[in-house]
Amino acid sequence: MSDGDYDYLIKFLALGDSGVGKTSFLYQYTDGKFNSKFITTVGIDFREKRVIYKSTGPDGSSGKGQKIHMQLWDTAGQERFRSLTTAFFRDAMGFLLLFDLTNEQSFLNVRNWMSQLQIHAYCESPDVVLCGNKCDLSDQRAVSEEEARELAEKYGIPYFETSAANGQNVNQAVDVLLDLIMKRMERCVDKSWIPDGTVRANGPTNQDISESSDRSKCAC
Amino acid sequence: MPQAEDMINLGFLSESEQELILEVLRRDEELRLAEEQRVRKLKTELLDVRRKGAKRGSGRYSQRSCGRCQEPLSRLTVFSSQCKMCNHLVCRNCRTVLPKGSWLCSVCAKESDLKKRTGDWFFDQRVNRFSTMPGHDLVRVSLKKRPPPKKRETTGELLLRSTEINPDLPTPIPRTRQKNQTTDKGQSTQNSGSIGSRESFESREDIWSKPIRSDTESAENASIISSKTETESGRATPEQPRKENRSVQSSPTGSSVSSVTVPVKADIVNIDSTNAKANTAPDVKANSPSPDLDVDRLFKKSIKRDPRPSAEYVSTLDLRDGCDTSEVSMGNRSRSVPGLDIQEDGEEEEDIDSLVSFHKRTMASSSSSLHSSKSTLGSLMSIYSEGGDFDSVEVSGDVVFSMSYDEHTQSLQVFIKECHELACGDSSRQLSNPYVKCYLLPDKSRQSKRKTSIKRNTVNPVYQETLKYSISRSQLATRSMLISVWHHGRLSRNAFLGEVEIPLDCQDLDSTDMDRVALMAKAASAMPASAFAQYKGELVISLKYITPKKPTTEKIKGKKAVTGEGGELHILIKEAKNLVAVKPGGTSDSFVKGYLFPAKAKNTKKKTPVVKKNLNPHYDHTFVYKDLALEQLKGMCLELTVWDREALLSNEFLGGVRLSSGRETVKIGKEEVQMDSVGEESSLWEKMMQYPDSWAEGTLPLRSTMAKATVK
Repeated sequence: MSDGDYDYLIKFLALGDSGVGKTSFLYQYTDGKFNSKFITTVGIDFREKRVIYKSTGPDGSSGKGQKIHMQLWDTAGQERFRSLTTAFFRDAMGFLLLFDLTNEQSFLNVRNWMSQLQIHAYCESPDVVLCGNKCDLSDQRAVSEEEARELAEKYGIPYFETSAANGQNVNQAVDVLLDLIMKRMERCVDKSWIPDGTVRANGPTNQDISESSDRSKCAC
Repeated sequence: MPQAEDMINLGFLSESEQELILEVLRRDEELRLAEEQRVRKLKTELLDVRRKGAKRGSGRYSQRSCGRCQEPLSRLTVFSSQCKMCNHLVCRNCRTVLPKGSWLCSVCAKESDLKKRTGDWFFDQRVNRFSTMPGHDLVRVSLKKRPPPKKRETTGELLLRSTEINPDLPTPIPRTRQKNQTTDKGQSTQNSGSIGSRESFESREDIWSKPIRSDTESAENASIISSKTETESGRATPEQPRKENRSVQSSPTGSSVSSVTVPVKADIVNIDSTNAKANTAPDVKANSPSPDLDVDRLFKKSIKRDPRPSAEYVSTLDLRDGCDTSEVSMGNRSRSVPGLDIQEDGEEEEDIDSLVSFHKRTMASSSSSLHSSKSTLGSLMSIYSEGGDFDSVEVSGDVVFSMSYDEHTQSLQVFIKECHELACGDSSRQLSNPYVKCYLLPDKSRQSKRKTSIKRNTVNPVYQETLKYSISRSQLATRSMLISVWHHGRLSRNAFLGEVEIPLDCQDLDSTDMDRVALMAKAASAMPASAFAQYKGELVISLKYITPKKPTTEKIKGKKAVTGEGGELHILIKEAKNLVAVKPGGTSDSFVKGYLFPAKAKNTKKKTPVVKKNLNPHYDHTFVYKDLALEQLKGMCLELTVWDREALLSNEFLGGVRLSSGRETVKIGKEEVQMDSVGEESSLWEKMMQYPDSWAEGTLPLRSTMAKATVK
């Protein structure tokens, strides 16, 4: 799995309270399977998956497929691992923030997780997708879709009602996150065109360089 | 800020948990290695594209030729054929059309494509986040600031490496602690986490109402707790110390370093522990200042504690006292590069030293092999030990040793037999844990350091150990052996117990007779007579001051210079020559670090990328300092230092230059410092100011020390 035959290595990280189904979500995404037994994650873990990403241009045309190797970090929700897990935030390019639709507290904690991300991620506003998990347990539902959407809107992030048990919206959530990342990547690279006053490595942006070589000759 | 990984203490994990996490990290490493290989391949591709006939800055080329293939361009194309990125005029064949319809020249297109594929877009952004720290909150900055290790370095890598350094890692945990762990955490093994699952199904409310568990949830929760602890102080107080107690126990008190730590910065640790303690003190806690600051502190709970033996005792009695004392001890270890006196923010990588050495010292009790010839991981404190970061005592006693040259193995053998009547390194407890350290001068780098084991609790230690230097005999004549004796302060600083320096040219190296020499205090002239006495190589740089682009101010010349708005100082670090090799194999992985004093912004530190395995490295990297007036530069000082990059350990100082007009005093931190720039150092600086908007290039000899003369 870890041969280098891919175009991009994209690293995501799933976070959220303990027991909201991060591990199950990722398991469903990578293996399409579900295990209802609760096995608490010790600290950190990750799963991998290869996907083909087709960028969609503004005109709706799709470009050629890019091979993506995804590294999906799974974190322990339990607070005793917190110092460890938050340390891994900075290595992720995008985040899957999960809460449990049947557990209101886990929803309320989304706020805290968001502020944790702000602090520990690689930038202050990383790409996040909010997932209300366990949507298959509709009879135990404690968080309404409206509430959740409202919160997601407040943060300006996409929201999905997912089920790691039946796979509903799991792929979609990750795909949307991937799309966000790939778009951000384009933006980042575009932005770097703007000359920043430093000497570029592969060409003269200004006349300084020729000047400098002249001057150094004089100095000798 | 994402700095919590500075010190990830996994001491709270059980052995099996640590194993599991290590396993994950190893898998991650596998992936990382494959990725590294892929990235390397991509970058080679870029180099190939680049080499294909690009115009070089130095050469003269026709205006009307393609910047890539150098084919002549037709008159018509000139206007529309400039690459947006590199500004070269490029012919049609050397363009790559982007999906959006625009185009770039082949090199720039490849470059931006690579930026995406290698993930550099991400790493670049991440680096930015660390280096452009707003300097408004001093505490925050000192807590957080540290160099981004390597741009691409991940937490997993750091952690894994740190565990590899401590191979004996899952050390047997003292029983008391283990017991504590099981009762407090209720989880000593990972077997499907029966407790964990219970916890997760418990209502959150419930968990948070127990202070013992909720110490690290979030700012919001913290304030919940704090109000709780205040109101229910009767119940909370006995529990708070208990928590404190537990974390102290998981700290490396004594020799049980069972934590997987990523030691990076000593004062982070100390300040943190202060904060953490302050936080647990109920009254401090009540007014948590800003939410995220608080979160940070809380989340650093598991950080290595202040290692004083009294910590546990103090904290159980009175938390505020503990907080005071830890502040005091903070001062002790937070400075470690005396010669290189880059006050407030210079301590970043240098401070790794004190931490690593501290860590090593705590480990040293179990490993007596530190004297082995490959002591690259050995204590680094000693590199700077001439600078004064140690306790000094009245020197007494002598050392008994012999030196001989073994023709067979081509090595110098220093046999350290014993010492007599040493001074007490720990004056309060009247004992010494002495060890002997040798340097084959003039080399004072870690390459040249050898140490004996540490003898406990004695002023008459017997070592009977041989320290070896592989060196040809002919080279020995010009060298001398510095034998120093140190008290190993396990929980405090090391103390210097005395030294002797034996010039080898007048030493009989063919006999194995013992010499008994009285130890001496450090010579007052420990500093080299001149910073240039020792040849350290040269640094080639170019300086340019760019005058502000303000057409309106052109009339009033004087004013223009004063405002400084938009004026920039560009420092092109071209290359270094003849650097000292400090890594095995006779190379160095060097980078250049720059500071501009007096610092207008909080952080004027700039660094070049590391150039590996090269004693004549080309950096070709530009530092830019903005918003400077030409006038200001006269009173400023630019320090450029060359370092050998040693991941996780201290970077080793290879030399430096100090550019200034050479006459002024400059305020560095709180000290007035007399600038001592000489020769080319000051003439280059003058030239830069004399000819703004043009490059002034110079080759500067590297100083062997950056020690400054303080003006009182």
